[in-house]
Amino acid sequence: MSAAQAPERSTLLHWGRVSTGVGLCWAGLMLLSHALFQRGLLGPAMAVLMPVGIALLFLLLLKPGKRPRLSYAAAATVPGVVTGVLLLVLISTDPERGLLNWTLVAGVVTWLLGAALGAWGISHRPPDAEPSPAAGAELHGRLLATTDFSWGTFLACGLGLMLAELILAGGIALLSSGVQLNQEASRALRLTPTGAILVSGLVASLVAFIAGSLGAWWSRRLAAPEATLGVLYLGTAIPALLTAAEFSPAMAQAGGPGLFEVRHAASLLGPAALGFWLAFIVLVLFLVLGITVGFVLAGSGRLDTRLGYELFIARRHVEIFRLGFLGRIFAVLLLGIVPPLLLLAIVRASEAAVERTRIRRVGVVDPLKAAASLHAQRASEGTPTSMMTTLSVGGVAVGVMALIVVMSVMSGFEGDLRDKILGTNAHAVVHSYLGEIPSYEDIAEKARKVPGVVGATPFIIQEVMVVSDANVSGAVIKGIDPQTVDTVTDVGRNILPGGSLENLVDPSRLVRRRINPDGRGAVDRRAGKRPPSPSPAPEDPVEAPVDDAPIIDDEFIQLQVPVPHIPPVPDVLPGILLGRELATQLRVVVGDRVNVVSPLSGELGPQGPMPKDRSFRVAGIFHSGMYEYDSKFVYITLQEAQSFFNVRGALGIELKVDDVDDARNISRRVVTALEGYPYRARDWGEMNQNLFSALRLEKLVMGVILSIISIVAAGLIIATVIMLVLEKRKEIAVLKALGVPDGGILKIFMAEGLQIGVAGGLIGLVSGLLWCLFIEKIGIQLDPDIYYIPALPVRLEAGQTVLAVVVAVLVSFFASLYPALQASRFDPVEGLKAE
Amino acid sequence: MALIELRRIFKSYFLHGKRIDVLRDVSLDIEKGELVSLIGPSGAGKSTFLHVLGTLDAPAAGTMTFDGRSVFTMNDAELAELRNRSIGFVFQSHFLLPEFTAVENVAMPALLRRLDRKQALHDARELLERMGLLARAEHRPGELSGGESQRVALARALVLKPTLLLADEPTGNLDPATGESIHNLLREVNRELGVTAVVVTHNEELARSMPRQLRMATGSILPVVPEGGEGEDAPLSPAVPTPPTPAAATPEATPGFPEEGGE
Repeated sequence: MSAAQAPERSTLLHWGRVSTGVGLCWAGLMLLSHALFQRGLLGPAMAVLMPVGIALLFLLLLKPGKRPRLSYAAAATVPGVVTGVLLLVLISTDPERGLLNWTLVAGVVTWLLGAALGAWGISHRPPDAEPSPAAGAELHGRLLATTDFSWGTFLACGLGLMLAELILAGGIALLSSGVQLNQEASRALRLTPTGAILVSGLVASLVAFIAGSLGAWWSRRLAAPEATLGVLYLGTAIPALLTAAEFSPAMAQAGGPGLFEVRHAASLLGPAALGFWLAFIVLVLFLVLGITVGFVLAGSGRLDTRLGYELFIARRHVEIFRLGFLGRIFAVLLLGIVPPLLLLAIVRASEAAVERTRIRRVGVVDPLKAAASLHAQRASEGTPTSMMTTLSVGGVAVGVMALIVVMSVMSGFEGDLRDKILGTNAHAVVHSYLGEIPSYEDIAEKARKVPGVVGATPFIIQEVMVVSDANVSGAVIKGIDPQTVDTVTDVGRNILPGGSLENLVDPSRLVRRRINPDGRGAVDRRAGKRPPSPSPAPEDPVEAPVDDAPIIDDEFIQLQVPVPHIPPVPDVLPGILLGRELATQLRVVVGDRVNVVSPLSGELGPQGPMPKDRSFRVAGIFHSGMYEYDSKFVYITLQEAQSFFNVRGALGIELKVDDVDDARNISRRVVTALEGYPYRARDWGEMNQNLFSALRLEKLVMGVILSIISIVAAGLIIATVIMLVLEKRKEIAVLKALGVPDGGILKIFMAEGLQIGVAGGLIGLVSGLLWCLFIEKIGIQLDPDIYYIPALPVRLEAGQTVLAVVVAVLVSFFASLYPALQASRFDPVEGLKAE
Repeated sequence: MALIELRRIFKSYFLHGKRIDVLRDVSLDIEKGELVSLIGPSGAGKSTFLHVLGTLDAPAAGTMTFDGRSVFTMNDAELAELRNRSIGFVFQSHFLLPEFTAVENVAMPALLRRLDRKQALHDARELLERMGLLARAEHRPGELSGGESQRVALARALVLKPTLLLADEPTGNLDPATGESIHNLLREVNRELGVTAVVVTHNEELARSMPRQLRMATGSILPVVPEGGEGEDAPLSPAVPTPPTPAAATPEATPGFPEEGGE
């Protein structure tokens, strides 16, 4: 009896010691934290204790095999000792606050006591009840070789990720600001921000991937604890620093222009911090991918990248690449679920009926033959696993297809918007801090000589009111140089038939063209129609000048508008270009007169600044496709604007560049060419940053949401591969007996999951492309009044389309990892037992 | 030096918290070229012992050398290679891979060794021909009879000319005549190819026909039956009945096995 009780008591005592020790440690920690918090020192203390805690963790993770007492004691006491030193420092700096010091002392003492007790308890395990008969026999090698923590893997993962981050950040900083390839200053390797991100992203991902593979190869396992610690302790440092720099101007200053480039790249998606952490997540993903691949290839102890028999076996297990099978899924994706399934059901049912009849008829003559046919028919019916396979291939395909179609439509919208914005606005604008640019011709000429700049044109921009006989509207008026404006924006090309830029230059032509003796224009206006392009003008110049006075007599218009004071109008008025929406609103057509009123004329009247007005004749109506521009922008010549607004020179120079994505760098080069101050340049990305980063973020979020479909598909793949593994337990055991290492089994089942992913990805790709083609060629009509765009725009971007497929394949790779791992760890003895 | 040297092998299972010692301090030498039979009642640990020999199962403690190499310190890839190159398995059930034809099954060890597929299939076909199974080469295991399957399985075990052949009741599911033919084939393989073979069986008569006989008792000790004991040591365990295969034996459709099939 006592013999049976004794071990129980000692076990109880053992656990009592350990748990009391842990409890005391906690109590000490609490006391310490309290004391430090009271002094406002918790922050720095935590900063000291963090690395100490890490050290503690590592000491605990170290093999305690040889000297367990020592390592446990060290693990427990090191933080206490460090805190003690901290305490001494604190006491010496602030001796008068005695009570708190005593709390500190009590905390440290409690900690040390608890640590000592715990270490003593752990090292004094009670002995086992009875000695084993196997005592003294050599332990099996596999048990001996078990290690707890692989430092090599930890370092490979952590440092590799850090290196990848450095490469990404450094690459972006270097490549987008330019690398001097050799002595010649002109030959610098410089990439657009997108290019820089792409190149350094690729290299960094590769580094992360290799680091993960090396880590997994080093420890020959998936290395979850090492990788996690590596990522947390070493990998988060750089993004955390960059994020801190976002909030601390001093740090940002210290970072220099390189940091500025990195921040700019990160802020393509909105806040820069979001970009940093997204990049971090992507790199971690590649690290994990590397770990997985490394494990798959080297998990059984030897690097083996060949896939011969693995694919051979996997293809027999999951026979996916059959035309009929894939065709059916394809049909479902293209035509929807119900019609093909209905069709299939009908075909199947009738086939079965025909076959049954045939078998019955054969049976009358030859029962054996009929039995064989019946057997064959049964055999052709699918198993539950093949049903699951179909579902998962379909799931992946739907995910890929949805991703491709939605992304392409969103890109279409974005591209449409971008084209319109860039068509009406310049790619970059040079301003002067002094306001006006008197020698704009020289400046434009200098700018044109900068490599990358394809056009430059001066402009003046002001806010005005445009008054017609019928209506009033606020507008932005832009003085343009008709000779050069076409090299920069699409204003000239957007003018609807009937008007032209020439009319702007030479208003007298306009007057001649505007012939309408019987006043048909007035009738049109009254009907409130959209201004038609002017009727073919009679060429008789004698009748050309038409006074607009009769229009004012028009009752209809008089009712609408408080009649402005309109001075007698000369025949030849300067021309003006209006947007289509504005023209509709003002009810004017080409040749009509409008008045432009500027509140800021610089002239003083008795009651303060006098508004200034001037008459123009509509020289053309443009349609850019952007409602905002078509309803707000009007153009006059630069000379008119100069005299109207009393500006000598121009207010800015608009630039067009050859590579839109590189506008930022090119505009910077222009400023350099202009020798800096007082000139500065802003590119389109900067001017519309909020809009485009919102669009990109929207696309990203949309992509992530749509990827949820892929996650559902991943669940299906997991279930399918698990079913396969369960179905093939015996085969796994036999294969192991025949000499397949665990890694081979892993590869076989990963290949089965990947097959599903690849097949689904390809079907999804093809059907997604077909859907995009359908939308583009046949089109989905939109109401132009609402969307201001006639049909759903589609823009296929190779990168994101490939990405959708790659994501699907990756998802299936990760999804099949778990079941394949289970299969590889499956004990062959179990499988051979199963009868 | 013996081909296989086992020293102080221990192996236990845990069932509902109770330890069951399956192998208790087993030490054994098997010489190259020996033909060894292993008999014993069910649950004596015969299969476990065979699995340990075949490196499929890891004991808790002990050492084992195969051809002078220490087996228990090998990693997974090395063990798999050892199994692939040097050890052939035949089980009670044929355990052919159902998705593959007979010839592909026989060629599988060679494919797993990453040998050329065409050559491997050619060799496998030749071996099947020598065993008189050429007509069945393109059939899947579901379409083969029990005896044919077992012979295909034997061909698969022998295709890479292993040094050690482990057979776990290879005739357990067969009728006596077919079983006898399989045993003859085993003896022939041992004699002519020099393959070391360990055969687990319930059939005392078949066991006694082997040059060396081992018996596993209910515990986990492995007493060596005196060599050349033709009949006098039979009373040691007379309770073992003749093959306990009531249900598994399928009506054998194939006629007698060609005696000269091995060569």
